[in-house]
Amino acid sequence: MRNYFTNARGRHWLLVIILFATSAYLPYLIFGAYPFAKKVNLGQDEINNIVQELDLPDYYQLYTDQLTDAEKLLEKAAFDEWEGGKCRFCHAVKKDDRDRMAPSLYRILGRPAGVSVNFTYSKPLIEMRDNGLVWTPETIDAFITDPESFIPGNRMRVAGIKDPKTRELIVNYLIRESN
Amino acid sequence: MIDNNIGIKLSSLTSWLVLIIFMVIFVNMSFAPRVPTESIERQILTNFHLVVGSLLLVLSFFRVYLWVYCPPQNNHRLLPDHEFTQVHILQFMLYITFIAQGISGILTAWSDGIILFLPGADHVNHSVWMTSGYLHSVFGFFYISLILFIILFRIYHLIRYRVLSINVFA
Repeated sequence: MRNYFTNARGRHWLLVIILFATSAYLPYLIFGAYPFAKKVNLGQDEINNIVQELDLPDYYQLYTDQLTDAEKLLEKAAFDEWEGGKCRFCHAVKKDDRDRMAPSLYRILGRPAGVSVNFTYSKPLIEMRDNGLVWTPETIDAFITDPESFIPGNRMRVAGIKDPKTRELIVNYLIRESN
Repeated sequence: MIDNNIGIKLSSLTSWLVLIIFMVIFVNMSFAPRVPTESIERQILTNFHLVVGSLLLVLSFFRVYLWVYCPPQNNHRLLPDHEFTQVHILQFMLYITFIAQGISGILTAWSDGIILFLPGADHVNHSVWMTSGYLHSVFGFFYISLILFIILFRIYHLIRYRVLSINVFA
Protein backbone atom coordinates (compact mmCIF):
# COMPACT_ATOMS: atom_id res chain seq x y z
CA MET A 1 0.00 0.00 0.00
CA ARG A 2 2.83 2.37 0.89
CA ASN A 3 4.55 1.72 -2.44
CA TYR A 4 1.30 2.23 -4.21
CA PHE A 5 0.88 5.72 -2.80
CA THR A 6 4.56 6.51 -3.22
CA ASN A 7 4.05 6.10 -6.96
CA ALA A 8 1.32 8.71 -6.95
CA ARG A 9 2.25 12.15 -8.15
CA GLY A 10 0.65 15.51 -7.44
CA ARG A 11 -1.29 15.47 -10.69
CA HIS A 12 -2.93 12.18 -9.75
CA TRP A 13 -4.37 13.77 -6.62
CA LEU A 14 -5.06 17.05 -8.38
CA LEU A 15 -7.77 15.40 -10.46
CA VAL A 16 -9.40 14.03 -7.30
CA ILE A 17 -9.29 17.49 -5.68
CA ILE A 18 -10.78 19.17 -8.76
CA LEU A 19 -13.58 16.59 -8.96
CA PHE A 20 -14.39 16.97 -5.27
CA ALA A 21 -14.36 20.77 -5.44
CA THR A 22 -16.74 20.67 -8.42
CA SER A 23 -18.99 18.17 -6.64
CA ALA A 24 -19.09 20.37 -3.55
CA TYR A 25 -20.50 23.21 -5.65
CA LEU A 26 -23.06 21.19 -7.65
CA PRO A 27 -25.83 20.81 -5.00
CA TYR A 28 -25.83 24.60 -4.66
CA LEU A 29 -25.72 25.16 -8.40
CA ILE A 30 -28.37 22.60 -9.38
CA PHE A 31 -30.75 22.48 -6.40
CA GLY A 32 -29.99 25.82 -4.73
CA ALA A 33 -29.10 23.85 -1.57
CA TYR A 34 -27.05 25.46 1.17
CA PRO A 35 -24.97 23.52 3.72
CA PHE A 36 -25.99 25.55 6.76
CA ALA A 37 -29.34 26.47 8.26
CA LYS A 38 -29.75 29.81 9.98
CA LYS A 39 -32.06 29.27 12.94
CA VAL A 40 -33.74 32.70 13.08
CA ASN A 41 -33.72 35.30 10.31
CA LEU A 42 -35.91 37.99 11.87
CA GLY A 43 -37.41 38.21 15.36
CA GLN A 44 -41.18 37.83 15.78
CA ASP A 45 -41.50 41.43 17.06
CA GLU A 46 -39.84 42.79 13.94
CA ILE A 47 -42.09 40.63 11.73
CA ASN A 48 -45.19 41.90 13.57
CA ASN A 49 -44.05 45.51 13.16
CA ILE A 50 -43.64 45.09 9.39
CA VAL A 51 -47.02 43.38 8.97
CA GLN A 52 -48.95 45.85 11.16
CA GLU A 53 -47.81 48.78 9.06
CA LEU A 54 -49.17 47.17 5.89
CA ASP A 55 -52.72 46.47 7.05
CA LEU A 56 -53.11 43.33 4.92
CA PRO A 57 -56.28 41.22 4.92
CA ASP A 58 -56.25 37.88 6.76
CA TYR A 59 -56.10 35.59 3.74
CA TYR A 60 -56.89 32.54 5.83
CA GLN A 61 -60.07 34.03 7.34
CA LEU A 62 -61.29 34.96 3.87
CA TYR A 63 -60.90 31.40 2.66
CA THR A 64 -64.06 29.32 2.56
CA ASP A 65 -63.69 25.62 1.96
CA GLN A 66 -66.29 24.92 -0.73
CA LEU A 67 -64.20 22.72 -2.95
CA THR A 68 -65.07 19.22 -4.04
CA ASP A 69 -62.60 16.41 -3.39
CA ALA A 70 -61.67 16.41 -7.08
CA GLU A 71 -60.83 20.13 -6.97
CA LYS A 72 -58.75 19.62 -3.83
CA LEU A 73 -56.86 16.85 -5.56
CA LEU A 74 -56.18 19.17 -8.50
CA GLU A 75 -54.68 21.77 -6.16
CA LYS A 76 -52.55 19.17 -4.43
CA ALA A 77 -51.38 17.79 -7.77
CA ALA A 78 -50.38 21.29 -8.90
CA PHE A 79 -48.24 21.71 -5.78
CA ASP A 80 -46.86 18.18 -5.80
CA GLU A 81 -46.33 17.40 -9.43
CA TRP A 82 -46.36 20.31 -11.88
CA GLU A 83 -44.15 19.34 -14.74
CA GLY A 84 -41.35 21.91 -14.29
CA GLY A 85 -40.54 20.80 -10.74
CA LYS A 86 -42.15 19.63 -7.55
CA CYS A 87 -42.78 22.29 -4.88
CA ARG A 88 -43.08 19.60 -2.19
CA PHE A 89 -39.61 18.29 -3.05
CA CYS A 90 -38.12 21.26 -1.15
CA HIS A 91 -40.99 22.93 0.73
CA ALA A 92 -43.00 21.79 3.72
CA VAL A 93 -46.51 23.21 3.73
CA LYS A 94 -48.50 21.63 6.57
CA LYS A 95 -48.27 22.77 10.17
CA ASP A 96 -46.73 19.53 11.42
CA ASP A 97 -44.41 18.99 8.46
CA ARG A 98 -40.74 18.91 9.30
CA ASP A 99 -38.65 21.67 7.70
CA ARG A 100 -37.12 20.60 4.41
CA MET A 101 -34.38 22.04 2.20
CA ALA A 102 -36.35 25.23 1.47
CA PRO A 103 -38.44 27.40 3.85
CA SER A 104 -41.78 26.06 5.12
CA LEU A 105 -44.73 27.60 3.29
CA TYR A 106 -47.11 27.14 6.23
CA ARG A 107 -48.99 30.46 6.71
CA ILE A 108 -46.72 32.22 4.25
CA LEU A 109 -49.37 34.67 3.06
CA GLY A 110 -49.15 38.02 4.80
CA ARG A 111 -45.62 37.28 5.97
CA PRO A 112 -42.56 39.33 4.93
CA ALA A 113 -40.14 37.55 2.60
CA GLY A 114 -37.03 35.96 4.09
CA VAL A 115 -38.16 35.51 7.69
CA SER A 116 -38.68 31.74 8.05
CA VAL A 117 -36.70 29.91 10.70
CA ASN A 118 -34.28 27.11 9.85
CA PHE A 119 -33.26 28.47 6.47
CA THR A 120 -30.36 30.55 5.15
CA TYR A 121 -31.70 32.99 2.58
CA SER A 122 -29.85 34.36 -0.40
CA LYS A 123 -28.62 37.93 -0.21
CA PRO A 124 -30.98 39.16 -2.97
CA LEU A 125 -34.00 37.80 -1.09
CA ILE A 126 -32.89 39.48 2.15
CA GLU A 127 -32.52 42.72 0.19
CA MET A 128 -36.06 42.31 -1.18
CA ARG A 129 -37.33 41.81 2.40
CA ASP A 130 -35.52 44.95 3.48
CA ASN A 131 -37.16 46.74 0.56
CA GLY A 132 -40.58 45.67 1.85
CA LEU A 133 -41.48 42.48 -0.02
CA VAL A 134 -44.39 40.73 1.67
CA TRP A 135 -45.91 37.47 0.42
CA THR A 136 -49.45 37.97 -0.83
CA PRO A 137 -51.31 35.91 -3.47
CA GLU A 138 -50.18 38.51 -6.03
CA THR A 139 -46.49 38.55 -5.08
CA ILE A 140 -46.32 34.75 -4.84
CA ASP A 141 -47.97 34.53 -8.25
CA ALA A 142 -45.45 36.98 -9.69
CA PHE A 143 -42.52 35.15 -8.04
CA ILE A 144 -43.43 31.66 -9.23
CA THR A 145 -44.16 32.96 -12.73
CA ASP A 146 -40.46 33.69 -13.17
CA PRO A 147 -38.41 33.51 -9.94
CA GLU A 148 -35.18 34.70 -11.53
CA SER A 149 -36.77 37.84 -12.99
CA PHE A 150 -38.69 38.65 -9.82
CA ILE A 151 -35.71 38.22 -7.47
CA PRO A 152 -32.51 37.98 -9.55
CA GLY A 153 -29.92 35.75 -7.87
CA ASN A 154 -32.34 33.90 -5.58
CA ARG A 155 -31.76 30.19 -4.87
CA MET A 156 -35.07 28.70 -6.07
CA ARG A 157 -33.92 26.72 -9.09
CA VAL A 158 -37.09 26.47 -11.15
CA ALA A 159 -37.76 28.04 -14.52
CA GLY A 160 -41.16 29.41 -13.52
CA ILE A 161 -44.77 28.36 -13.95
CA LYS A 162 -46.15 29.90 -17.10
CA ASP A 163 -49.69 28.53 -16.77
CA PRO A 164 -51.82 30.99 -14.70
CA LYS A 165 -54.28 28.24 -13.73
CA THR A 166 -51.48 26.13 -12.19
CA ARG A 167 -50.22 29.14 -10.25
CA GLU A 168 -53.71 29.84 -8.96
CA LEU A 169 -54.12 26.22 -7.86
CA ILE A 170 -50.80 26.34 -6.01
CA VAL A 171 -51.66 29.57 -4.18
CA ASN A 172 -55.08 28.16 -3.23
CA TYR A 173 -53.40 24.99 -1.98
CA LEU A 174 -51.06 27.03 0.22
CA ILE A 175 -54.04 28.86 1.75
CA ARG A 176 -56.07 25.68 2.27
CA GLU A 177 -53.23 23.71 3.83
CA SER A 178 -52.47 26.57 6.24
CA ASN A 179 -56.05 26.69 7.54
CA MET B 1 -3.90 -11.00 8.09
CA ILE B 2 -5.53 -12.54 5.01
CA ASP B 3 -3.57 -14.83 2.67
CA ASN B 4 -2.75 -12.95 -0.57
CA ASN B 5 -4.59 -15.34 -2.91
CA ILE B 6 -7.68 -15.37 -0.74
CA GLY B 7 -7.41 -11.60 -0.46
CA ILE B 8 -7.38 -11.19 -4.24
CA LYS B 9 -10.42 -13.45 -4.66
CA LEU B 10 -12.27 -11.70 -1.83
CA SER B 11 -11.40 -8.31 -3.33
CA SER B 12 -12.85 -9.34 -6.68
CA LEU B 13 -15.99 -10.76 -5.08
CA THR B 14 -16.52 -7.69 -2.89
CA SER B 15 -16.04 -5.36 -5.86
CA TRP B 16 -18.74 -7.16 -7.85
CA LEU B 17 -21.08 -7.14 -4.84
CA VAL B 18 -20.49 -3.41 -4.38
CA LEU B 19 -21.22 -2.82 -8.08
CA ILE B 20 -24.52 -4.72 -7.88
CA ILE B 21 -25.61 -3.04 -4.65
CA PHE B 22 -24.58 0.34 -5.98
CA MET B 23 -26.74 -0.16 -9.08
CA VAL B 24 -29.72 -1.22 -6.96
CA ILE B 25 -29.41 1.80 -4.69
CA PHE B 26 -28.88 4.11 -7.67
CA VAL B 27 -32.18 2.98 -9.21
CA ASN B 28 -33.88 3.32 -5.82
CA MET B 29 -32.42 6.82 -5.43
CA SER B 30 -33.66 7.84 -8.88
CA PHE B 31 -37.24 6.71 -8.21
CA ALA B 32 -37.77 7.76 -4.59
CA PRO B 33 -38.05 11.57 -5.04
CA ARG B 34 -40.87 11.09 -7.58
CA VAL B 35 -43.06 9.25 -5.05
CA PRO B 36 -45.29 11.39 -2.75
CA THR B 37 -43.63 11.88 0.64
CA GLU B 38 -46.62 10.77 2.72
CA SER B 39 -47.28 7.53 0.82
CA ILE B 40 -46.50 4.01 2.03
CA GLU B 41 -44.47 3.41 -1.15
CA ARG B 42 -42.16 6.28 -0.21
CA GLN B 43 -41.61 4.86 3.27
CA ILE B 44 -40.79 1.47 1.77
CA LEU B 45 -38.34 3.07 -0.67
CA THR B 46 -36.74 5.11 2.13
CA ASN B 47 -36.33 2.06 4.38
CA PHE B 48 -34.96 0.07 1.47
CA HIS B 49 -32.50 2.90 0.76
CA LEU B 50 -31.34 2.82 4.39
CA VAL B 51 -30.88 -0.94 4.50
CA VAL B 52 -29.11 -1.28 1.14
CA GLY B 53 -27.07 1.89 1.78
CA SER B 54 -25.87 0.47 5.12
CA LEU B 55 -24.90 -2.76 3.38
CA LEU B 56 -22.94 -0.75 0.81
CA LEU B 57 -21.19 1.09 3.65
CA VAL B 58 -20.15 -2.15 5.36
CA LEU B 59 -18.95 -3.73 2.11
CA SER B 60 -16.99 -0.59 1.23
CA PHE B 61 -15.25 -0.69 4.60
CA PHE B 62 -14.33 -4.33 3.94
CA ARG B 63 -13.14 -3.48 0.42
CA VAL B 64 -10.87 -0.71 1.74
CA TYR B 65 -9.48 -3.15 4.32
CA LEU B 66 -8.71 -5.62 1.53
CA TRP B 67 -7.24 -2.84 -0.59
CA VAL B 68 -4.79 -1.92 2.17
CA TYR B 69 -3.60 -5.51 2.67
CA CYS B 70 -3.83 -6.72 -0.95
CA PRO B 71 -3.46 -3.60 -3.15
CA PRO B 72 -4.33 -4.12 -6.84
CA GLN B 73 -1.34 -4.86 -9.07
CA ASN B 74 -0.65 -3.65 -12.58
CA ASN B 75 -1.15 -6.87 -14.53
CA HIS B 76 -1.11 -5.15 -17.92
CA ARG B 77 2.34 -5.23 -19.47
CA LEU B 78 1.53 -2.34 -21.84
CA LEU B 79 0.04 0.00 -19.27
CA PRO B 80 2.58 2.40 -17.69
CA ASP B 81 2.62 2.55 -13.89
CA HIS B 82 1.62 6.21 -13.73
CA GLU B 83 -1.53 5.50 -15.76
CA PHE B 84 -2.33 2.51 -13.58
CA THR B 85 -1.84 4.63 -10.47
CA GLN B 86 -4.19 7.32 -11.74
CA VAL B 87 -7.08 4.92 -12.28
CA HIS B 88 -6.49 3.13 -9.01
CA ILE B 89 -6.40 6.36 -7.02
CA LEU B 90 -9.80 7.18 -8.53
CA GLN B 91 -11.07 3.69 -7.69
CA PHE B 92 -9.73 3.85 -4.15
CA MET B 93 -11.38 7.26 -3.70
CA LEU B 94 -14.61 5.71 -4.97
CA TYR B 95 -14.70 3.34 -2.00
CA ILE B 96 -13.70 6.10 0.40
CA THR B 97 -16.58 8.15 -1.04
CA PHE B 98 -19.02 5.28 -0.50
CA ILE B 99 -17.94 5.19 3.16
CA ALA B 100 -18.28 8.97 3.51
CA GLN B 101 -21.63 8.78 1.68
CA GLY B 102 -22.83 6.11 4.11
CA ILE B 103 -21.75 8.01 7.21
CA SER B 104 -23.33 11.27 6.01
CA GLY B 105 -26.48 9.32 5.04
CA ILE B 106 -26.81 7.77 8.50
CA LEU B 107 -26.32 11.21 10.05
CA THR B 108 -29.00 12.67 7.75
CA ALA B 109 -31.48 9.91 8.58
CA TRP B 110 -30.74 10.21 12.30
CA SER B 111 -31.13 14.01 12.36
CA ASP B 112 -34.39 13.66 10.38
CA GLY B 113 -35.81 11.23 12.93
CA ILE B 114 -35.92 8.28 10.51
CA ILE B 115 -33.50 6.15 12.53
CA LEU B 116 -33.06 6.16 16.26
CA PHE B 117 -30.03 4.97 18.21
CA LEU B 118 -31.07 5.90 21.74
CA PRO B 119 -34.78 5.56 22.58
CA GLY B 120 -36.15 8.82 23.91
CA ALA B 121 -33.07 10.86 23.03
CA ASP B 122 -33.59 14.24 21.37
CA HIS B 123 -32.12 13.63 17.94
CA VAL B 124 -34.08 15.66 15.37
CA ASN B 125 -31.85 18.55 14.40
CA HIS B 126 -32.51 20.60 11.28
CA SER B 127 -29.02 22.16 11.18
CA VAL B 128 -27.34 18.73 11.25
CA TRP B 129 -29.86 17.52 8.65
CA MET B 130 -29.02 20.42 6.31
CA THR B 131 -25.24 20.00 6.62
CA SER B 132 -25.18 16.20 6.44
CA GLY B 133 -27.79 16.24 3.65
CA TYR B 134 -25.67 18.68 1.67
CA LEU B 135 -22.60 16.46 2.16
CA HIS B 136 -24.62 13.38 1.17
CA SER B 137 -25.45 15.17 -2.07
CA VAL B 138 -21.82 16.29 -2.56
CA PHE B 139 -20.53 12.72 -2.18
CA GLY B 140 -23.24 11.57 -4.59
CA PHE B 141 -22.00 13.95 -7.28
CA PHE B 142 -18.43 13.02 -6.41
CA TYR B 143 -18.83 9.29 -6.98
CA ILE B 144 -20.72 9.91 -10.22
CA SER B 145 -17.81 12.04 -11.46
CA LEU B 146 -15.27 9.43 -10.25
CA ILE B 147 -17.07 6.63 -12.11
CA LEU B 148 -17.29 8.81 -15.22
CA PHE B 149 -13.56 9.57 -15.13
CA ILE B 150 -12.61 5.94 -14.47
CA ILE B 151 -14.58 4.96 -17.60
CA LEU B 152 -12.95 7.80 -19.57
CA PHE B 153 -9.49 6.63 -18.47
CA ARG B 154 -10.33 3.05 -19.44
CA ILE B 155 -11.33 4.26 -22.91
CA TYR B 156 -8.15 6.35 -23.12
CA HIS B 157 -6.01 3.32 -22.14
CA LEU B 158 -7.71 1.25 -24.81
CA ILE B 159 -7.00 3.83 -27.50
CA ARG B 160 -3.51 4.87 -26.40
CA TYR B 161 -2.01 1.64 -24.98
CA ARG B 162 -4.30 -1.05 -26.43
CA VAL B 163 -5.15 -2.18 -22.92
CA LEU B 164 -8.74 -3.29 -22.48
CA SER B 165 -10.20 -3.37 -18.97
CA ILE B 166 -13.89 -3.27 -18.16
CA ASN B 167 -13.01 -3.10 -14.50
CA VAL B 168 -14.57 0.08 -13.07
CA PHE B 169 -14.96 -0.85 -9.40
CA ALA B 170 -11.44 -2.41 -9.09
